[in-house]
Amino acid sequence: MSNIVFDAVTRVFRRDGKDFPTLDGISLEVRDREFVAIVGPSGCGKTTCLRMAAGLEFPTSGRVSVGGKEVTEPGPDRAVVFQQFALFPWKTVWDNIDFGLRNKGVLEAERRRRVGDIITLMGLEGYESAFPHQLSGGMQQRVAIARAYVLDPDVLLMDEPFGALDAQTRTVMQEELVRLARKNPRTVLFITHAVEEAVYLSDRVVVMSRRPGTIREVIDVASVRQSENWDRLERIEEVMDQDSFVHLRTRIWKLLREQQAPNDH
Amino acid sequence: MATARSTPGGASRGRRAVWVGAAAFAVALVLWYVLTTLTGVIGSARFPSPPEVFAAFRQLALDGYADGRLHQHVLHSSKLVLMGFAAAVTAGVPLGLAMGWSRRVEAFVNPIFLTIRPVPPLAWIPLAIVWLGLGDAAKVMVIWFAAFVPSVINAYTGVRSIEPYLLEASRMLGVRGWSFVREVLLPAALPHIFTGLRLSLQASWTTLVAAELVGAALGLGKVLNASAQDIFPAMILIGMVFVGIAGGVMTCTLALVEARAAPWRQG
Repeated sequence: MSNIVFDAVTRVFRRDGKDFPTLDGISLEVRDREFVAIVGPSGCGKTTCLRMAAGLEFPTSGRVSVGGKEVTEPGPDRAVVFQQFALFPWKTVWDNIDFGLRNKGVLEAERRRRVGDIITLMGLEGYESAFPHQLSGGMQQRVAIARAYVLDPDVLLMDEPFGALDAQTRTVMQEELVRLARKNPRTVLFITHAVEEAVYLSDRVVVMSRRPGTIREVIDVASVRQSENWDRLERIEEVMDQDSFVHLRTRIWKLLREQQAPNDH
Repeated sequence: MATARSTPGGASRGRRAVWVGAAAFAVALVLWYVLTTLTGVIGSARFPSPPEVFAAFRQLALDGYADGRLHQHVLHSSKLVLMGFAAAVTAGVPLGLAMGWSRRVEAFVNPIFLTIRPVPPLAWIPLAIVWLGLGDAAKVMVIWFAAFVPSVINAYTGVRSIEPYLLEASRMLGVRGWSFVREVLLPAALPHIFTGLRLSLQASWTTLVAAELVGAALGLGKVLNASAQDIFPAMILIGMVFVGIAGGVMTCTLALVEARAAPWRQG
């Protein structure tokens, strides 16, 4: 079982002797093999939540655990896909994907098979010996996702992974992620501020309030997806055309609107 | 250079730049010939004419001057530069990396380093002579001081300017120990390290010539010093040209090594 549990998590930043609460009492469980997206206004602490699950930051009070174990440091069991891709510029596509497996001590033959498989799955054939700077943003993000998936992690933490991509590439990547997630389900925590993306990808959408971040509402998308049978639809625009999709999207939009400060619109 | 490469037609623009440069050089040579040999506007005691310079070159290359022939002077100077440079870089780069990575090392080393840093390398010459005499060892020591500082500072900057998300990615991938140093820290700092090496190399040559001017048995600085005492402008010029050539060859070699060591930086 590899769930992510936030138990009464708060986070306070201290600056110039003053306390700035950024997260205030977050309790949430991302269940095993569930895809949960967090949306919220900028600065609400959604990225901080993900970083705490990754072990890159820690709560001021409360507890974050993955698979029942409290998170104390980063590790390959909780693979992160960063917004800035964070590929190693001096490593080829193959070596970037292979690096984590090598550190885990996986044997050469198995590594070659697993890296080869994920390269095929992500459509990266022919680019194995390219360096990241030779690839487009979309291709670089594919490599970053492949690098996370190849580790066969318990949970996958994605921090606005498509935020830096142009609209078309973003759409393609969203479709591929859905394909990948159906084929190879994982526990996923996905941060975004794109509402459509959140509804399209996830089983549940968590809407956060503005700073200090609290959970405003949790919206169940999976049951609507199932009852309306979205998965029969190939393309993202077909799903987005469904009344049920529009309804969910509008509802989340309204919730987010309410979170906006009166003077920033 | 990078912009020329990335724009279409960059290659032809680069070729044009080479031609323009060659033309400027040719104009300068013609002017030199006209002002000295042809018209005598500039007397040969002030600035030598082309035939005089060529004669000086022949003399230095074939018969020798200042106790050695051209190749002996060049090799001797280059050897001292390489020794001082290599010793400085081997000590400086690891120290800079360690200071960049560990606050504790930085706190320990920085006060000493900051005290030594503002002292111009040439100011070490008297002390080097008192300690090690007028021989080669003193020159290597002074070169070491000159080359040490830039290699430390740039290796340090290299570590400090690593993108934080690359460090986070490497922690997430479980990269540890020697593998971290070799596969993350070093390549990430490499561009800055090479900047440091380039500056160190330049400082090495500057310092070497100055140190050889003070006193040397052999070397390009000695050629310069002897020709100044002999009031032999043509030989001074030859000495300067070969200091430039020897330094330039080493800088180019370093650039080739850098291209080899960091193939991912080619656009």
